[in-house]
Amino acid sequence: MEQLLTAKKLFRRVLLALIALIVVMLLCSLIGTQHISLKSVLASSNRQNAIDPDYEIFMHVRLPRIILACIVGAALACSGVVFQAILRNPLADPYILGISSGAGLGTIIAIVSGFSWTVWGRSPIAVFAFVGALGTIWLVWFVGRFTGKSNVTGLLLAGVVVNAFFSAVIMFLTSVAKSQQIYATIFWLMGNIAEEDIFVLWMGAGFIIAGIIALFYISPQLNALSFGVDDARSMGINTAGTQLIAFAIAALITSIAVCLSGLIGFVGLIVPHGVRLIFGPDHRQLLPLSGIAGAIFLAASDTLARTIVAPAQLPVGVVTAIVGGPFFLFLLIRYSRKIGWLNK
Amino acid sequence: MNIIEVKNLSFRYSQAEVLRDLSFDVAQGSFLTIIGPNGVGKSTLLNLLSALLQPDSGTIKIDKKTVESYSTKALAEKIAVVRQEFVPVFGFSVIETVLMARTTHYGQLGFENDTDRQIVNEALNVTDTTGFASRLLSNLSGGERQRVFIARALAQNTAILLLDEPTTFLDLKHQVVIYDLLKKMQMEKGKTIVVVTHDINLAAQYCDEALLLGTDGSYQCGTTKDILTTEQIEKVFGVRTFVGRVGQGKFFLPLGKFAKDIQIVSTNPNCNPLK
Repeated sequence: MEQLLTAKKLFRRVLLALIALIVVMLLCSLIGTQHISLKSVLASSNRQNAIDPDYEIFMHVRLPRIILACIVGAALACSGVVFQAILRNPLADPYILGISSGAGLGTIIAIVSGFSWTVWGRSPIAVFAFVGALGTIWLVWFVGRFTGKSNVTGLLLAGVVVNAFFSAVIMFLTSVAKSQQIYATIFWLMGNIAEEDIFVLWMGAGFIIAGIIALFYISPQLNALSFGVDDARSMGINTAGTQLIAFAIAALITSIAVCLSGLIGFVGLIVPHGVRLIFGPDHRQLLPLSGIAGAIFLAASDTLARTIVAPAQLPVGVVTAIVGGPFFLFLLIRYSRKIGWLNK
Repeated sequence: MNIIEVKNLSFRYSQAEVLRDLSFDVAQGSFLTIIGPNGVGKSTLLNLLSALLQPDSGTIKIDKKTVESYSTKALAEKIAVVRQEFVPVFGFSVIETVLMARTTHYGQLGFENDTDRQIVNEALNVTDTTGFASRLLSNLSGGERQRVFIARALAQNTAILLLDEPTTFLDLKHQVVIYDLLKKMQMEKGKTIVVVTHDINLAAQYCDEALLLGTDGSYQCGTTKDILTTEQIEKVFGVRTFVGRVGQGKFFLPLGKFAKDIQIVSTNPNCNPLK
């Protein structure tokens, strides 16, 4: 029985992961085109009057951006876990049910129509992307419900069809847009993390962390759902309620992430798989550890994105795909072989 | 006392009616087999009993209360179901799988307590799965995996066990292991066991009662001795069988057009089960 997960073991692992996250955040905040020293940052945080450039860069440029990367990474990884669980499909990621095309459509509409107002410091692009993402996923859910009992397949099909349809609309709008507008759209679609207003940051972080905690509470039910709706129900699980809660929260945190940073790919697919390969499929552990691993992964990727071709910056989505892909293949080969070998 | 009471039950899918005006009772602590050709609604009946489907008309009572009046959680404390083999996409181990039966009893933080562990350990012991408790479900043989799912059903601590073709893909030895295990649960724990099967011979050897469903919506219910006769089987399945006797039990040998012994049975009046 030693290998079983206990509350104590889980707490210890989450704590260790959080410490690792803080270390990574600190390291990332010291790396950049402008060299800064932690000593002068700490020193100037005690003094009130004099403005130290190191402190300014640390507090107002790097830290907000790293925090943003962390909450976006955590949101994408956790919603990847949830979509893989409720769709019982290892290929599922946060965007599988149409969030990406919905957000993309919202973006291009905002860009083509040339709005210039803001909501809470968010540009029309972000607002339209958020509305588009959330609207699309509810449309998919609504359509998927009509397909009846085996609604996992129904949902997936609805997602694929809505994705295809919206992509067509996006292409239509792209073909009538001006080239500068197209550039802005593409850049946004690639996923990009930039310095962010502190109020927006706290709002996003609050919603995403609350969502992840709520998801943790339904993680035993997600375990049972891995065996299918029928089995979960005969084990006494309220499957419809669990699916709805999981779906709603995952959709919301993904939409917030998309609104904050565009479409960053790969995080929601490979982080859950990586954590699952190492720690196993138990969602009580998979969910919090994936959240933290997603935060670490995106913070590190963004640091690479802003330093590797400095003074220019890469879109972070490019880095997550280039770094994430090979890393995931390595994990897959290493751990699948280990597991197979152990059991022979 | 009847723990399951089914009255005038009818159910139809949009394309076809599968159950018509079906009534039967299952006494507490008995071992019932549901037999019938493909498509007569055996699995549908199990799904109706476990409230995954709602009947078009008629009632199902579990322990004197209609199934609809139970919450999902409360029903899971009365009935455990073993479905036809299904392996989840993610690699859960045997013990993790069996522990999931206790999910509704987990504490605030979502973890099991000592009672849950004790129940799970007992379920592993009785199904003889303790030896590979930490192995992954996907790395087990069919017989081992079926025992794990039975262990999970046992860990729900219910009075009733429903099983849908638990021995279909198993070899002879594992078929017997499963039926011995079920019989033991019936005799030692007083569980009520309902099993859907195509294996008439195992049913005749192990089950007390039989519900024989026909394609035309007809059905027979009674003791296996009365229900499993060569006449009934020919009527329902459209296949002639030779019936032999061993002690209290019977065995059935299906006789198709090109079966080796079809000649003997047709020419020898003593052997012809129809005479």
